Amino acid sequence: MFLKVVLRRFLTFLPTVLGIATFAFVLGHATPGDPAYAALGIDLEGYSGVDLEEVERVRKELGLDQPILIQYINWMWNALQGDFGRSYVNDYIVMDAVLEALPNTLYLLALTMIFAIIIGVSIGMISAVYQGTVGDLLARLISIIGVSTPVFWFALILILIFAYSLNWFPIGGSVEEFGAKALVLPVASIALHPAALIARMTRSSMLEVLSHDMIRTATSKGLFRGRIFFVHALRNAINPVVTVIGFQTGNLVGGAVAIEVIFTMRGMGELLISSIHDKDIIVMQCAILVIGISFALINLLVDLIYLLIDPRIRF
Amino acid sequence: MLGDNKRNISSSYLSTNKSWLNFKENLKIFFDKKLNIFSFSLVVFLIFIAIFAPVLAPYEYDIVNPSNALAPPSLEHLMGTDTTGRDIFSRVLHGTTTSLSLALTTIIFGLLTGVSVGAISGYFAGIVDEIIMRIIDVFMSIPGVILALAMVSILGPNPVYLVLALSIRRIIQFARVTRGVVLSIKELDYISACHAIGVGHIKIIFMHVLPNCIGPIIVLSTVLIGNVILMESTLSFLGMGIQEPTPSWGTMIAKGNEFLTFAPWVSVSPGIFLFLTMISFNLLGDGVRDHLDPKDKVAT
Repeated sequence: MFLKVVLRRFLTFLPTVLGIATFAFVLGHATPGDPAYAALGIDLEGYSGVDLEEVERVRKELGLDQPILIQYINWMWNALQGDFGRSYVNDYIVMDAVLEALPNTLYLLALTMIFAIIIGVSIGMISAVYQGTVGDLLARLISIIGVSTPVFWFALILILIFAYSLNWFPIGGSVEEFGAKALVLPVASIALHPAALIARMTRSSMLEVLSHDMIRTATSKGLFRGRIFFVHALRNAINPVVTVIGFQTGNLVGGAVAIEVIFTMRGMGELLISSIHDKDIIVMQCAILVIGISFALINLLVDLIYLLIDPRIRF
Repeated sequence: MLGDNKRNISSSYLSTNKSWLNFKENLKIFFDKKLNIFSFSLVVFLIFIAIFAPVLAPYEYDIVNPSNALAPPSLEHLMGTDTTGRDIFSRVLHGTTTSLSLALTTIIFGLLTGVSVGAISGYFAGIVDEIIMRIIDVFMSIPGVILALAMVSILGPNPVYLVLALSIRRIIQFARVTRGVVLSIKELDYISACHAIGVGHIKIIFMHVLPNCIGPIIVLSTVLIGNVILMESTLSFLGMGIQEPTPSWGTMIAKGNEFLTFAPWVSVSPGIFLFLTMISFNLLGDGVRDHLDPKDKVAT
């Protein structure tokens, strides 16, 4: 039964990946400009001495003279093998750049998520357990402020305070250079938003569970309060929180783009932005494909975790 | 079974629809909460600024004065000046107009398109629904900012295209919510009755099905405005949104990033306004959601 559900979920994953790939392909072809000219490094505007034979040769070499359907199939086939060719603009193998950038981003996002879950769940728990007190009010205030603060602006404020004024952390720079210190400000900036949302969700979900009879029973049995909150209540309140975490991964990627640009970190977001600025279409296509597939994979993973922690939906 | 279904719907959607008719009473309950009055006043204040920015701003937003570049905040320039000596306060006020008008256009466009798509998908079901849902799945699996970035990079950073790029995600969100409501409504007896007396599909959709979506759609629209403002400013921050000299908070914050050490006001001031706008719309959105959709049916 369980396997069947997992299998069914996998079957919806495949068309999604196909769709993302098609989107990336269409994106490349919808972008204005002739890739053959781009490959030769020719800027069309105000350039008269174009060697048309040379352009024709490059076009043939890149397979741009073939019908669009053949190009699509070829592109898909190559993409499946991880071969996206060389960047026109910066002359590197596209897949190498992606493989260098992707782990950095995933690492950053994983750290952020762990941090956000710890902070968010704690604030949410405090808020729910001490409902109606000053602590609750403060926790709710923090979470509404967290949801409303733009990630990139928050990062600049953090830099201003902790990097320039207090000089505690470096601005940008790699982990090799500064160690874990280099990651503190980026992680803190991206985590703000998901932590706030997780806190809100944990609070409302906990409040609902705490009103159940089983909590009253547990209390009347004289169980230790911490055990009631962490074992009995949290276990039942965690499902909606997992859903929020799943929803948030997409927003995280959006935040990560701006943060990677601010802190000049090598990552998928920075790669995507620089490829858009350079009009480097192949890199852009590849970046969007890889980001899309990773994101779809994360969603798949969240769904599977959901299956594991909530047996009720294994119908 | 049918009875259950009916009770469920009447307790959430139909009741909002009914109370929607008692508009005044509904507003009174809404404004009984002090927080709602507060957030609503803030939003009204921001809209006021957005409309009257040209009158309120002490300077023109695009008048450069290089001799007074990067001046710190003073009585003359409340938020200081930027690299070309433009008054930041005036630009921030004009930025309100840019942000709010873009967000509003995006929401209206997303709402109209999304509701139509969702209604068609949910009402006709079958193969149409299947195709639309698969396309939606694909777009849902690309993070919003990435999707918008991709669109802007093809279309170019022009305000009209920017609205298009920002709308795609909204269209999907509106379509999903509408589809959900339509699916649950169209099985009800009164719709079968409509079919029986020969009411046309279009009339059924607009007169009898869609009014049930008003509650969830109002909730979604208010909740999403803050989202759209954030996404627009993120795109502008990355240089892919509103272009100079049109004032936009995101672009202004990005400009200030270069001189954060010696002129922090260039980035900080527009950010404060962006933050205030976000918090007002988020609070209002929360209030509206608690009021119309207490069970949190509209996932964003």
